[in-house]
Formats: sequence, C-alpha cells, structure tokens
Amino acid sequence: MSEPVLEIEDVDAGFGASQILFGINLAVAQGEIAGVLGLNGAGKSVTMKVIAGLIPAWKGAVRLNGRDITGLAPEQRVGLGLGHVPQGRQVFPELTVEENLRLGAYTLRRRDKSRYAPSLAATWERFPKLYERRRQAAGTMSGGEQAALAVARALINEPTVVLVDEPSAGLAPLIVRDVFDTLKQVATTGVTMILVEQNVAAALQLVDTVTLLQTGTVAWHGPLAELDRSMLATRLGIGRMLGPSTAAAANKRAVKKKAVPEKKPAAKKAAPAKKVAAKKTVPQKAAATKKAAPRKRAT
Amino acid sequence: MGEVFVLGAIAGGIYGLFAVATVLVYRGSGVLNFAQGEVGTLGLFLAVWLINDHGMPWVVGALAAVVVTTAIGVLFERFVVRKMGDAPRVSVAVATVGLLLFVLSGELVRVGASPKSLPGPFSGNGWRIAGVVVSPTQALSLVVALGVGVALATLLRRTDFGLGVLAAAQDPSAAQLVGVPVNRVSAFVWGAGAGLSTVACLLVAPGLGAFAPGALGRLFLFGLAAAIVGGLTSLPGAFVGGLVVGLVEASSGRIFAESSLPGVKTLAVFILLLVTLLVRPHGLFGTRESRHG
Amino acid sequence: MSWLNARPGTRVIVVGVIAALLAPALGRAGIVTDYAALILGTGVALAAAGLSLNLLMGYAGQISLGQASLLGVGAFASGLLTPATKLGLPFLVAIPAAALAGAAAAFLVGLPALRLRGLYLAVVTIAFAFTMTESLLKTQSIGGGSAGINLPRPQVNDFIFTRNADYLGVLLALLAFIWWFDTNVTRTTLGRAFRAIKSDEAVAASFGVNVTAYKLGAFALSGAIAGIAGLMSGHLVQTVNSDSFPYDRSLLLVVVVVVGGLGSRVGVLAAAAFYALYPVLMPHLFGDRILGYDVVIGAALLIVTMARNPSGLAGAIRQQLAERRERAVPTVAPTGGVMAMPKLPSLPRPTALPERPTADGIVLSARDIRVRFGGLVAVDDASIDVTRGRIVGLIGPNGAGKTTLFNAISGRHKPDSGRVELLGVDVSSRSAAQRAAAGLGRTFQNIGLVRDLSVNENFLLAQHTVAGYDPVSALTYFRHAGRGETELRERAAQAIAALGFERYTDTPVANLSIGQQRIVELGAVLLTAPEVVLLDEPAAGMAPAAAENLAERLVDLRNELGRTVLLIEHNIPLVLATCDELYVMAAGRVIAHGTPDEVIQDDLVLEAYLGGAVL
Repeated sequence: MSEPVLEIEDVDAGFGASQILFGINLAVAQGEIAGVLGLNGAGKSVTMKVIAGLIPAWKGAVRLNGRDITGLAPEQRVGLGLGHVPQGRQVFPELTVEENLRLGAYTLRRRDKSRYAPSLAATWERFPKLYERRRQAAGTMSGGEQAALAVARALINEPTVVLVDEPSAGLAPLIVRDVFDTLKQVATTGVTMILVEQNVAAALQLVDTVTLLQTGTVAWHGPLAELDRSMLATRLGIGRMLGPSTAAAANKRAVKKKAVPEKKPAAKKAAPAKKVAAKKTVPQKAAATKKAAPRKRAT
Repeated sequence: MGEVFVLGAIAGGIYGLFAVATVLVYRGSGVLNFAQGEVGTLGLFLAVWLINDHGMPWVVGALAAVVVTTAIGVLFERFVVRKMGDAPRVSVAVATVGLLLFVLSGELVRVGASPKSLPGPFSGNGWRIAGVVVSPTQALSLVVALGVGVALATLLRRTDFGLGVLAAAQDPSAAQLVGVPVNRVSAFVWGAGAGLSTVACLLVAPGLGAFAPGALGRLFLFGLAAAIVGGLTSLPGAFVGGLVVGLVEASSGRIFAESSLPGVKTLAVFILLLVTLLVRPHGLFGTRESRHG
Repeated sequence: MSWLNARPGTRVIVVGVIAALLAPALGRAGIVTDYAALILGTGVALAAAGLSLNLLMGYAGQISLGQASLLGVGAFASGLLTPATKLGLPFLVAIPAAALAGAAAAFLVGLPALRLRGLYLAVVTIAFAFTMTESLLKTQSIGGGSAGINLPRPQVNDFIFTRNADYLGVLLALLAFIWWFDTNVTRTTLGRAFRAIKSDEAVAASFGVNVTAYKLGAFALSGAIAGIAGLMSGHLVQTVNSDSFPYDRSLLLVVVVVVGGLGSRVGVLAAAAFYALYPVLMPHLFGDRILGYDVVIGAALLIVTMARNPSGLAGAIRQQLAERRERAVPTVAPTGGVMAMPKLPSLPRPTALPERPTADGIVLSARDIRVRFGGLVAVDDASIDVTRGRIVGLIGPNGAGKTTLFNAISGRHKPDSGRVELLGVDVSSRSAAQRAAAGLGRTFQNIGLVRDLSVNENFLLAQHTVAGYDPVSALTYFRHAGRGETELRERAAQAIAALGFERYTDTPVANLSIGQQRIVELGAVLLTAPEVVLLDEPAAGMAPAAAENLAERLVDLRNELGRTVLLIEHNIPLVLATCDELYVMAAGRVIAHGTPDEVIQDDLVLEAYLGGAVL
C-alpha cells in the first residue's frame, strides 16, 4: 500500500493541564474521504487543531506526505499542502468573494503566481454561483453560500489534504443538506479529505473510512462497509442503550423510583418521526453507490 | 466659518494620521498602542539631534526618525506583544503604557525637560486662506495625510500581503488557516503604526514651535479620539474622525474665544468622545465585531 | 503575638497607631530630620495613591490611566474646604469630603465602564485626566488659576502640624486607616466579588454578584481612597496647581501597582518605598548620573512584568513559595487519572437564608420556552417539569438546545417567550443572581468556578448571596459582618474537609484536574443551599471509572441530601444509573419524556443522536 498522505502517530494533546487526546492514531490515503466521528468531548476538534497546528501535540507526530510537520506553524503547513474548511466557515466577511479566494491561494501565489489564474477559472467553473457574486462582500451571503465559499477557498490552493471541521455546525437543516451536496460533489473529484462531524447520518453519506473517537481515544477504525448500526452506537458511547447491558444499568438504578406519569410525548413524537423515516433510505443508497472499496488501515 | 474649517482641516489631517496608526494596530492586534504618540516624539528628538546638532538635511533626519521608530514598533511586537500570545488585550495595552512611560522617562533623562524646536522641511511664509496663514509644512501635512490614506488603501486592497492584513484583522485564526503569515502581519502593523505616528509628529512639530517630552500627548489623545469617532476599525473612518475632531476643536475654540474657561478645546473633544462612546460605541464607520471581546 | 495574626484588622490599627505616634517622637528626638520626614511622607502618600489604583485594577480588574486626576480632585476638594479658603472647616471634615469628591468623580468616570470594554475605558480615563489638568483644574474657581491653591497643614486648637515629622504621623495614621479599609474589602464578599468580576464576569453573576453595581462600587471606593491620598500629598507640599497631578503620575501609579504585584498591598508599599527613597539614596551610591532612572527602570519592569508574568513581583514570589510547598507535598493527581469522587458534604443551613416553601410536587417548571439565535430556533417551545426529590435527566444530541434551555431556566439568557416557575413562584423576569438566591443552583459545562481563585476563595465566593451582611457593613467589618464571615469560613472549611480537599485549600482551581474541578464546582453549588441543582454534563472530561463514581454521588445528592436534580449528560450509562425520569431533546424540541426504560426503548431517541442515521 502506498504511503499515507496524512498520518497522525500516537498523539497526546489537550488544553492547559487537562489532557484530551490519549494516543490518537490516524492515517489517510490518497483520494480517501476519512470521517472522524464522536460525541461532544470525544476529542474530534482537538484532533483537527493538532493536525492544523493550532495547538501543539504533547507527544507523537503529525506527518504530511511523509514529512514530519509536528513543529511547524499553521501557515507553514498550509504551504505544504494542508487545506482547511474551518468550523463555522470563517470566511472573511468584509472582503469580497474574489478577495477571499485570492487569500485562499495565498501560498499558491507565493510559490507560482501563474498557477492562480487557471485555478481561479476552475473554481468559477465548479462554483458558478460564487462567480455571480464575486464582487459581493462575503459576510452578506447566506450561510450555504458562505460554506461553498469556504470549500472553494480551501480547494483553490490545490491542497493535498483538506480538513473539513464540522460543516453542519450552526446551520439550519436545509442548509446542511446544501453543504453536504457541495462536499459530495467535491468528493467525486478525488480530493483527499478528513471530515469531522457531529451529524453522523450526514457524514456517513460521504466518507470511505470511519474513525470513531471516544473520550480521547480511537474506539474503532475501519471502512464504512464494516460499520453496522450497533457498533456505531456502542463505539460512540451511546450504545448501552441497545445492548444487553441496558438491563444491567437499569438495575443499578436506585430502587426509589416511582412510575412517571406519561406526559403527552405521543403527539410531539409523531412529527419528527416521519421526518426520520423519510430520510432513512438516503444513506443506504449513498453507501451502495460508493465505487471504490475503502481501504482498511491499521491504526 | 471658513477659518474654522481651514484650522480644523489642518489639525484634522494630523489627528487622522495618528488615528490611522491607531486603527492599523487595533485591526492587526486588537490593542490600542498608547505609546505611539511618545514614540513619535522620540523620533522628533532624534530628528532634532541629526538636523539641528549635526546639520543633516531635513529629509535625512526625518527618514532616520521614521526608520528608527518603525524598528521600535517591530521590536516591541516581536519581544512583547507576541510573547503575550492570547493574553487579555487590556494586558497588552498596559504593556504599551509601560513603553510610553519608558520612552517618556528616557527622554527626560537623556534629552531633559527643556523644550527643543524643529524647523519644517520648507521655509517660506505660506499662504493666507480664509484669514488663516497656512504654512508650507501644514499644507504638506494635508498632502501627506491624503497620500498615506491612498497608499495604505492601495497596499491593503491590491497586494496579497495587504489582503492578509485585512484578513488577519477580521479573523486571525482563519487567516492563519489560509496560509497568511500572521506574525509578519502583526509586526507590520506595529511597525507601520509607530512609523506613521512619527510622520504625524514631524509634520506637526514646526507649527508647535517648541516641544518637550510628553508635549505631544494631547495631540495623540485627540488622534485616539478621532480613531474612536471614526469607528476604530475603519481606515477612511480614521480620517473622517480626524476631521471631525479637528473641526470640533477649532469651532469650540472660536465659540468660546471670549470664555474664561481654560482648555475648552480639550473639554469639547472629551465630550465628543464620551457622546460617541455612549451613543454610538462603534463610531461612524466601525463594524460591530466580537473578536476582541 | 498570635492574636495579631488572627485579626488582621486589629493588627493594622495597632501598627498604625504606633507608627503615627512614633514619627513625631522620632522627629523631636532629631532622629528623623525634617527632610527625611518629607521624603517618607511622599512615600506614604504615594503608597496610599497606589492602594487606590490597586483596588480598582488589582482587585476589580478595571483599568484606569488617569488615577492621578482623582488625587487632584481630593486635594482640591480639601483645599477649598480647609481654613485658608472660603469655608474654613477643620481637617477632620476635609478627609471625608475629599473621599466623597474622589468617589463621585471616579463614579462618573466609571459609568461608561458599564457599557465599554477595557480599552475604551482606558481612553476615557486618559481623556478625563487631560480634561482635568488642562481645563477644570486651571479654572479660577476650582483650581485657583495658575497660582494654584494653598493647603495648610492641619490644626488642632492651637497646635499646627508644621513640622514634617508631626505631619508624617498624620499621614501614617491615614495610611493605616486606608490599609484597614482595604483589608476589610479583601476579606469580605466585596473583595471576592471584585476578584470574581476581574476573572470572569459570567461566573461572578452565576454566584449572585450584581456585576454592574460592584463595578461602579469599585470605582467609587477607589476614588474615595484616591481622594484621601490626594489630600495627604496636597497638605504635605502645601500648595497645588493644575500641574501637580500630571498624566505621567497616573502612569507611574500603574507601574507601582503592576510591578509591585496586582492586588498586593505589600507590593504597592514596596514599590512606593522604592520611588520615595531612590532619589535620596541612589545618588549617594552611584552619583547624580543615576537620577531619573527610577521611572525608566519601573517602566521597563512594567513591560517585562506584562510580557512574562502578569502577576508582578508579589505574584512571582507567591508562585515560588507555592512551588516549594508543592514539592514538599505530593503533586496534584495526574490529569486523566481516576480520582474517586468523595462524599458530598451535608452542610448546615446558612443562617441568613430566608425560609423557602417546602411542599412536595413540582419545584421547577419551564413552560413553552422559546429561544432564537438569529434565524436559528435553538429551543422550540420546550416544556419540562421537575418534581421534588427526583433526578431528572435531559438528554439529546449536540445542538439539541439542552444547554440553551438551562440558560433560559437559570436566567443567564432571556428566552423570547415562555415562563419559568421556581418553588411555585414565577421567576421569569428575575435575574440569574436572584434565581440563584431563590434556590436554583447550577454547574457549567466549562466549569463555573473562578479559575484564578483558590478552592477556599471559590467556596467563599459561592456563598455571596447567603453571607448575611451588606457591603457597607463589610467595609467597616462591624460585628455582624465579622460573624457572617466566620460562618462562611466555617461552612467552606466543612465543605473542603468533607470533600477531602484540605491539601488544595489554597490551590488555584485552574491547577486542579478537570475531575477535581467538577467536584469543587459541585461543592460550591451546594454551599449556596440550593433546592434544585442544574448539572450541565458533570461527567464531561471524566474518566469512565470516575463517572461511575459520580453516579453514586448524584444518588446521594437525592437520597441523603434531599436535593432535586436536573441533569444534562451524554454519558448514557450514568443517566440510566441515576435518573428517575428523562426528557429527550432534539432540534430544540422535547421529543420524548418518560421513565428511562420507556425512553431508551424509543427508536426515535437513537435516531436523534445519530442525526437520522440508519445503516
């Protein structure tokens, strides 16, 4: 198997005195869409920050194209081929769409200015809506358009790996769908991506491999095809709800319990339940239509 | 009326320069550099030393002053501001207060408290406009203020590095994540801020006659007020703010010319500042940004 | 002399009286010359001025770059009142007058602080300083024009304090008075509230501190001390004009306070002594060339202090001592390691706490709460009821709106619509502080403690609303303030002992592990004697074994301490092991409610967690 494009080896990290990551390993191959999933506090965003260089790794190494980048500044890593779609999109609100893109190509333009024009043209082709708005201040666009701009801004620099951090955070469900449509379209072009996401359902439509984080460690890693519902639930840390241990946990409860008068959840339940049912078929289809079999990697 | 406008415009150009220096640093680092006025004054004393004592041409002395003070700004950023990292912005501002006092007391020890004077770049009697004699240096200060405005606008919008400065001001972590060298941006704004303040000092000094350490503190404060009136984040706003402060100062001086109240101009600008902060805290052109909360 | 250590107030008074009597005696004996007394007097007045800024910057964290102008206000107020001028009142009246004038001026300067962030405030204080020196103090009526005004030495009957050594006695007495006053601030709810505001206004508010009032209070108190300090130095030099309190004096005061060590009285005293003695002593040692460098040195130290160690010299010394102590004692438990959660303390009811309704039934009820952030509906007409004596869980995926609902219930954010009832009373229009006082305790995901303060200080701060004395009696530390304070300290000590945290009593909370911080936070909430406790992800950041332990403690909270608990938690086993009933939220709505058994059977709940994923 070829050398991984991005590799994190045995990384510990945290904030101040509190350690959040405990020996994280992750390797991403060329063209792979790697999903990093987990509940709140599992260490997803810290992992991303360590890869980006925004917080230091206490221990371990981060390698990009086989080169150790552990000690480099974030902007140096960008120069070496790391691209970012940051959480909350973080476009530059007072700058125009085109200025945002020009900044996205900051290191590309420094390396070789002549490559910018074709890269920009390709971006306009891929995101015609952005072209229409190229003179508009980015802050005045809708959340979905800003997300598209954030993606375009990362891609225009011709990165080796793109880190996509919680693209759905803070967006209305309808826009989340838009954003994932954009990402899906990008994924078909063979870009290598690491996707961190809370919205497991949305993420599973996109990824080739899955890394499940739980309390700062890798709880499971493998190709999407090997992941089933119960394993997903278990490894995410909400799983005992489903398994036999539910009963045991319930027994542990204090005896003092009384029956709780049923409120009226039945009426409230109906509406969202329908929504879920309608969505059910989508991920299956998405998973089935994945062509390339995801490569399983040792962690 | 015309007199008020001419006086206000001349003073406003200087305040605008101080304000632009302040806005640059604020946008780049989220900090007010309280030392800028005094660092500029230090540049004046350097120019006095080179021009008066060593007979160098005005341009050489002025250039040396700008270069040295710019270097002070860059070094302060490198060894103090950057070391403080994510510390509260007020703490960084207190460090600039330390720089202010360091420069001020250093001047007092080395130069002494007795006033010095610096000639302007040109001699000549100037022109009479609306009953006010405008000296060549004052005319130059307006030209320089406008020139600096245009040059900065061009730099910031037309070059990659300039765009990087704007981007870092709006969102430093995002700027870092597109590859903008934020440390260099930070060094640039601190250096440019100090250098621009020195330019303002060099242009205002001939009109002042004599100056001692600390004498330009009031002018710098008016520049701070101008920056806040203009919105603290907006470069054009800084010049408009400078003009507003200049006009308020000139008109209050005229309206209360007969009054026995001393320091009416300072009082008027103080009231302008308070009204701005309480009624429109983000100024005339500022954006409500939460980044430096 | 252990009684002196036990009572800092008494100690200050005793030392002050002795010093005040000693100075004139030494003066008469010829040991302290007139010149030496003048120098010492300058230092004493500078120390007083430093203490005034120390209260504002060091305790309350509010920046002022125009403090010298407040000294001017005090000096001129005294000058206008004492014999040489119009009113001819005695010195003893001038003291409170100067304090009042300083307090009023500082109050006005502080008003914008309520709306402005630190940097703007700094600009306002500079502008105020320039306005004072260039305008108001130059006027004939206030400042006496260019000649200034005379401030004669105080007079008692026929005795005038003309000799500097005699007046030095007065200055020392006044400094002792200010010191005592300042001690009363730091050892009561006042100082703790100030320090909490300095570190984290949101946490301060959650402990029931009225941030607005205390900020203004800090300005007023600082101004009062500054007024007296101005009077002290004014009557020392006996004449003042508009140039007597220049802008750079304000900056020197910043040096005195920051380099000495923000918040350290002794540090201020040491720095003031340095500036008083330097011009006298240093030229003897190094010649006249050295003159003037004291300010240069101070300014350089100010820069270094800010860049290296914002807690100043006193802070650096304290840190050294703490490190030595920690080397002696085994260090803090390694982070991420398992620490058994101790038994939660059963604490006596604070005597100052008003009676609360004790009836069973629903103690907390939130009806149709709706919170919008821009276009996003974060909480969408959610309703929950909490019955006394139960542990009620609130679960759901991230972004479901659980914490936002908590914030609406606790009063941190005002909901767009809906109502909250606590113990049968509608509290919808009350502030977070008032709800806390009414019996609603809560913890925070990112730990609602003041990180810079020690465990003990946090425990004392937590009792802000149950202290049983008002800020005014705190300032004088009269009897019932002392009694109240004793009770707070006892309860805090009990809580620390019950938790087994004696070793960490004086450790800043930030130095503890996350698990330990959670325990301390829970202890702090219990010290407020809440009826209902809202816990926001107490197991977050805890090792699995510690979380299991936490489950037992939560059950204790209900069974042994009789508290009612509303719990947000992602750790489902913990929820199942503790909760009597569960609410499930998704996308801002309550989508399920029932016993845990019922709820976990509900497929909808899993769907909610996975965002609708089905494989």
